[in-house]
Amino acid sequence: MTTRRPPADVPGSPGLPWHVSDALARRYADGSAAETDAWSLEKHVESCAGCAGRVSAAVRAGTAGPVLASVRAELLASLGPGRAREGARAVRPGSPAHRTAPGAPLGRRIAAVASLGRRPGPTTSPGLRPESATPGARPTRVAHTPTPHAPTPFGRWARLWWAVGPALRGSWVVAVMLVVGGAYGLAYGAGVQGARSLLLALSPVLPLAGVAVSYGRHADPLYEITAATPSGGLRLLLTRTAAVLAVCVPLLTAGGALLPPVAGFPGAAAWLLPGLALTLATLALGSFVGCRAAAATLGGGWLLAVTGPLLGPVDTAASATALALYFSGPAAQGGWAAAALACAALLVLRRRSFDHLESR
Amino acid sequence: MNVSTAVAVSGLTVRHRRTVALDRLDLSLGPGVHGLLGPNGAGKTSLIRVLATVAAPSSGRVELLGGDATSHRERTGIRRRLGYLPQDFGHYPAFTVREFVAYVAWLKEVPAERVPAAVEHAVARVGLGDRIDARMKTLSGGMVRRAGIAQAIVNEPELLLLDEPTAGLDPEQRVDFRSLLRELGTEATVVVSTHLVEDVAAACTDVALIESGRLAFQGSTAELTALGGESPDGNDSTTHAVERGYTAALHAHRTPSHTAKGALR
Repeated sequence: MTTRRPPADVPGSPGLPWHVSDALARRYADGSAAETDAWSLEKHVESCAGCAGRVSAAVRAGTAGPVLASVRAELLASLGPGRAREGARAVRPGSPAHRTAPGAPLGRRIAAVASLGRRPGPTTSPGLRPESATPGARPTRVAHTPTPHAPTPFGRWARLWWAVGPALRGSWVVAVMLVVGGAYGLAYGAGVQGARSLLLALSPVLPLAGVAVSYGRHADPLYEITAATPSGGLRLLLTRTAAVLAVCVPLLTAGGALLPPVAGFPGAAAWLLPGLALTLATLALGSFVGCRAAAATLGGGWLLAVTGPLLGPVDTAASATALALYFSGPAAQGGWAAAALACAALLVLRRRSFDHLESR
Repeated sequence: MNVSTAVAVSGLTVRHRRTVALDRLDLSLGPGVHGLLGPNGAGKTSLIRVLATVAAPSSGRVELLGGDATSHRERTGIRRRLGYLPQDFGHYPAFTVREFVAYVAWLKEVPAERVPAAVEHAVARVGLGDRIDARMKTLSGGMVRRAGIAQAIVNEPELLLLDEPTAGLDPEQRVDFRSLLRELGTEATVVVSTHLVEDVAAACTDVALIESGRLAFQGSTAELTALGGESPDGNDSTTHAVERGYTAALHAHRTPSHTAKGALR
């Protein structure tokens, strides 16, 4: 019974009024129905609530009943109280829960994507307004088709990926890979000693580039549509920034840690606070001038600041010392932390500017 | 204010640098399908973008669905009940139609449990049901536009703004689309910007005619048709009659007093 049925050759279903008989429902429930009968039954219950209910009842009454009940209980328990209602939908009569209906994984994924943004999670900021429900009093005219969906780990992951939008699909990931790969090439291919400091110096700019290519009129093809939606402002920007950081932080930190160490130079994690401060500064400055201009200004400024030490002296030790000024020691790191906090505070104050109307 | 008035605009002025796109426009729209007509550059898109809460007015009052569109707090509520199809809109080529529409549903804060059904319903209404799992990049121009209409109606908006929705649709799709418009107009306020007079004749209950950023005519489609007078030749179609009404209204608007005012600007 695990065969996926061919979509077209369902006897009796197009146009003819055919319903599942009780006998067939029983045979289907105990697994003794002929395969073609099972196919037509499955096709039919997708669109006929009455038959779906009868088949569900027959299945619950049959040998699979206890198993289904325990699956349902487990699912509800794993979802927690808040998700229980949605979970209940997933196994309600009309969705043959022991079989995956065609399109179900996608439907599940979309439901999951949609719910990600609605749940205050690690990607939302303290400055965001609390979620208020859509005016529920308005009667929905949508015909509710019983689409089975439940959040899955995959769904949650896909949802995050989805909400990220253009950045992770674009050339930015390639750029990050190139920088890390280039550092490795220099270190192990060309035997350059300062590859690690080079990577460290470039790391804080990469999340800025990610932010610049993932939000705003120039970067997001959907911008005109998102600008007219309630979530298109700071919430979307923060979701995308978080996703950019989620790629950058592990990749660049691990990449730096695995390169040969440079004498007198800080560890691979030293870029994290400068990177965070610059990212937050980009968002805060972006609230005035737009993310692309902010990222270009701050990224360019940073590159100018580190280019001198990187390209100036041929002596790698001297260049490392000069670079270490930006990263090493409690004073430098404390300064970056303070800058990050200040920028976060400014961003909270400026949170409404992203939802603001465009004026030219 | 009257709750059935979805759009109440008074003294709306929009400037793009030195040019004036909308000049002290007063407009009030209730449920039904409103055709927004006017020559190219008359300010149709500027008006739609202000009504979509995308662009800010330079001055004037904009009340949408009973809320003030220039207030941050009220704008969020308005945006949940709004549908907007831009004249030019991008999409993510790797998304399927289903993903594209569901993504916009997420942005519009449609409750999660309603999204799958709402997406399928919206896509079916624009006649893309059989291509719902096709990637956007594989669709023709007309299909992309229909996917765009689907994203605009996925949250069952009370105010639906469509900027040139029939561009890129073939004649048969236009006929289907106009019947969808009439259906939508029974419950919501639909504003359709177009320069196709036959769209207005076939689908719109009311017409607003904009010329040089000012309202040249507002009334029912029948009133616009009446402005055109009797046909000079015997065989006349509705489209021709609306076209004559359109031209007559434009000419009436371009009277010397108006041109003098225009020259002063």
